Amino acid sequence: MNLAVAALKGCVHCYRYTLRGVIGANCRFYPSCSDYALEALSVHGAVRGTLMSAGRILRCNPWNPGGYDAVPGPQAPKG
Amino acid sequence: MDQKRLFAAIALSIGILLIFDTWNRANQPPPDPPAAAAQRPDAPAPAVAAAPGASPMQAEAQATALRRPAPRARFETPLMAGSINLRGARIDDLVLTTYRETLAPDSPSVRIFSPRDGQNPYFAQWGWTSADGRTLVPDGDTEWTAVTVGRLVPERPMTLRWDNGQGQIFEIIFSVDSQYMVTAEQRVRNGGGEAISVLPWVRIRREYTPPTAGFFILHEGFTGVLSGRLQEVTFSDARSEGARRAGTALEQETMGGWAGITDKYWLAAVMPVAPDQTLRTAYRHVNEGGGTAGDRWQVDMAAPEPLLVAPGATGTLGTRMFAGAKEVNLLNDYMARYGIAGFDKAIDFGWFYFLVKPFFLVLHWLAGLTGNFGVAILLLTVAIKAAFFPLANKAYQSMAKMKILAPKMQEIKERYKDDPQKAQQEMMALYRSEKVNPASGCLPILIQIPVFFALYKTLFVTIEMRHQPFFGWIQDLSAPDPTNLFNLFGLLPFDPMELSPFLHMPAWALIMGVTMWVQMRLNPTPPDPIQAKVFAWMPVIFTFMLASFPAGLIIYWAWNNTLSVAQQYYIMRHERAAAKAAKAPGNPK
Repeated sequence: MNLAVAALKGCVHCYRYTLRGVIGANCRFYPSCSDYALEALSVHGAVRGTLMSAGRILRCNPWNPGGYDAVPGPQAPKG
Repeated sequence: MDQKRLFAAIALSIGILLIFDTWNRANQPPPDPPAAAAQRPDAPAPAVAAAPGASPMQAEAQATALRRPAPRARFETPLMAGSINLRGARIDDLVLTTYRETLAPDSPSVRIFSPRDGQNPYFAQWGWTSADGRTLVPDGDTEWTAVTVGRLVPERPMTLRWDNGQGQIFEIIFSVDSQYMVTAEQRVRNGGGEAISVLPWVRIRREYTPPTAGFFILHEGFTGVLSGRLQEVTFSDARSEGARRAGTALEQETMGGWAGITDKYWLAAVMPVAPDQTLRTAYRHVNEGGGTAGDRWQVDMAAPEPLLVAPGATGTLGTRMFAGAKEVNLLNDYMARYGIAGFDKAIDFGWFYFLVKPFFLVLHWLAGLTGNFGVAILLLTVAIKAAFFPLANKAYQSMAKMKILAPKMQEIKERYKDDPQKAQQEMMALYRSEKVNPASGCLPILIQIPVFFALYKTLFVTIEMRHQPFFGWIQDLSAPDPTNLFNLFGLLPFDPMELSPFLHMPAWALIMGVTMWVQMRLNPTPPDPIQAKVFAWMPVIFTFMLASFPAGLIIYWAWNNTLSVAQQYYIMRHERAAAKAAKAPGNPK
C-alpha cells in the first residue's frame, strides 16, 4: 500500500467518523460507497481506485436501482 | 481492525483539535516574534527603500511624539469622517459614522485609522521616492500646506502642496465620494532646469496586529485581486514569508485590481484610478522591536518605473483608497462604477463564490422584505430545503412497495441470521430485482453539502448580521448568545465566563444540540460499534463546539435540523398512509 492510497483511505475513514454522522448514511448499494472506495483503493491503487469510487458515487442516485455492486477484481475483463 | 481503530483515533483527535481551537480563541497567547527582526535592505527597487522604510520611520515616529501636534484638515462623507494629517500627508484618523463599536446607544463609531502616537496606529499615506538620488522629495516629516480652505467633502476636492525649494512642487489632490472612497491624484511639477526622476507610491500601513477570529473559514489579513487573481495572505503567513524574504510577503506588477488589509467586516485598500494602469503591488511585514507590538503590516502600490519628468512638465499618478464596511451591494456598486476588478471578493466568499454570492443577495433581499435578518435566515433555509425536497421524496416513493416485500425480507433475515453481511447482500439483490430502494443515495447528499456549507459561510461573513436582533434575548445575531446554563440563565448572580471561557453554554446551543440529537435518531445506526459510539456523542460535541459561535449560526443549525426532522416525519407519515391504503381490503390497488 503506497502513501497516496493510505492518505486517500484516511480521508474515507475520516468521512465515516465525522461527516457521515452529521448527514446520515444514505447509500443505495451493498457494499456502501465508502466500503467500495476502501476496497477499490486497495485493489486498484490510488488513481483507478479514486476514479472507480467517483463513478460509484455518481451512480448512487435515486434513478439508479442500486443493490449489490462489488468492486471488480484486478483481472476483470476490460471493455 | 487495528487500522480501523487508528483511523477512529485520528478522527477523534481532529474533533478535539476543532473544539480546542474554538475554546482557545478567547485567550490566545501572543504569537512568537520572528527569529530575527528583519531590517529593510536599502538596495533594490526604489519602492522598497522608501515605502516601508523601517528605521528612519521609527526615528521619525519618536520625534513626532515629542513635537507639537500635527496640523490637520478635516474630511467628511455621509458614511465616514476624519482628518488628513498634514505632516506626512497621511489619513490616520477615520471613523465609520454609521457603524458603532457595540450595541450600547452611546457607543463610539467604528474606527478604522488611528495616528501613530496613539493606540493601534493604522493609516494610508501618499508619497514619492527620489529615483535619481538628488531630487528632494517629501517624507514622513514634511509639513504640507492645505491650499483649499475648509473641509474636504463630496464634490469639494482638497489640494495639499509642498515646495521642495529646488524647483519642484508636489501636490496631492484629495477628493471623496458620498461613501467610503478617497481619490488622490499625486502630481509633481518640475520647475527646475533638469529632468527629474521620482517614483510615486501609496501605502496602507498597520502598526499593530488586530485580534483575529482565527477561524479557518474566515480570512483576515492581506487581501487583494492582483492580475485578476484573488491573493489572500494571513497575518501569520505574511510574518513567516516576510521573515524569509526580507520583509516582502508578496510582490508583483498588476494591472488594475486592488490590494489592502481586511478584518472580518472592515477593509482598507488601495487601487489605481485607471483600471488599465499597471502598478507594482506588495504585501509586507517587518518587526520593529520584537513581539506583537513590533509588528508592521503594509500594502503598497507604486508606479512600476520612476516617472521621468522633463523641465516644465508634470508627472502624475492617480490612486483610490477605500476605507469602510464590506457591504456586498456597496462593493458591487464600486466594482461597476470604477471598474475595480474583483472588488466584491473583498468579502471572503471562499471556494463556493458562485453559490455564496447569490445567497448573500437573496438573504439581504429577504431581510429587507421581512425587516428582521433572523427571519430572513429561517426563510432562506426553508427555500433551500424545499428545493431539495423532491430528491428526498423520490427515495421514499418506493417505501410503500417495500412494505409488500416485507415477508420476503423477513425470510432473508431468518435465513442468514448468523451472517448479517450476507443478509444485507441478499436484501440489496432483492431491492434490485423488485426495483425499489429505501435510500436516496450518496450523490444527492454530496451535492447538498456544498450548498449548506455555502449558506453557513454566508451567515458567517455577512456584515448585515452585525448588531441585528432576533426574537427574545438575542440582540446581536453576529455575537455569541449571551445566556448561560452555568449561572442558570442569569438566576445566579455571577458570570461563569470570568472563571473560564469554557463555562459557556447558551440556550440556543442547547436547543441546537437537542434538534441534532433528534435528527440523528432518525438516521439508521451505523453497523460499526465504534462509529455508533462516535455518532452518539456527536450532538454533545457539536453543542460545545458551537457554543461560542455567532447566535445567527446556531439558530440556523437548529432550524436546519428541525426542518430535516419535519421532512423525514412528513415523508414517513405519508408512506405509512399509503401502505395502509394498499393493505385495506376492497381497495383495488
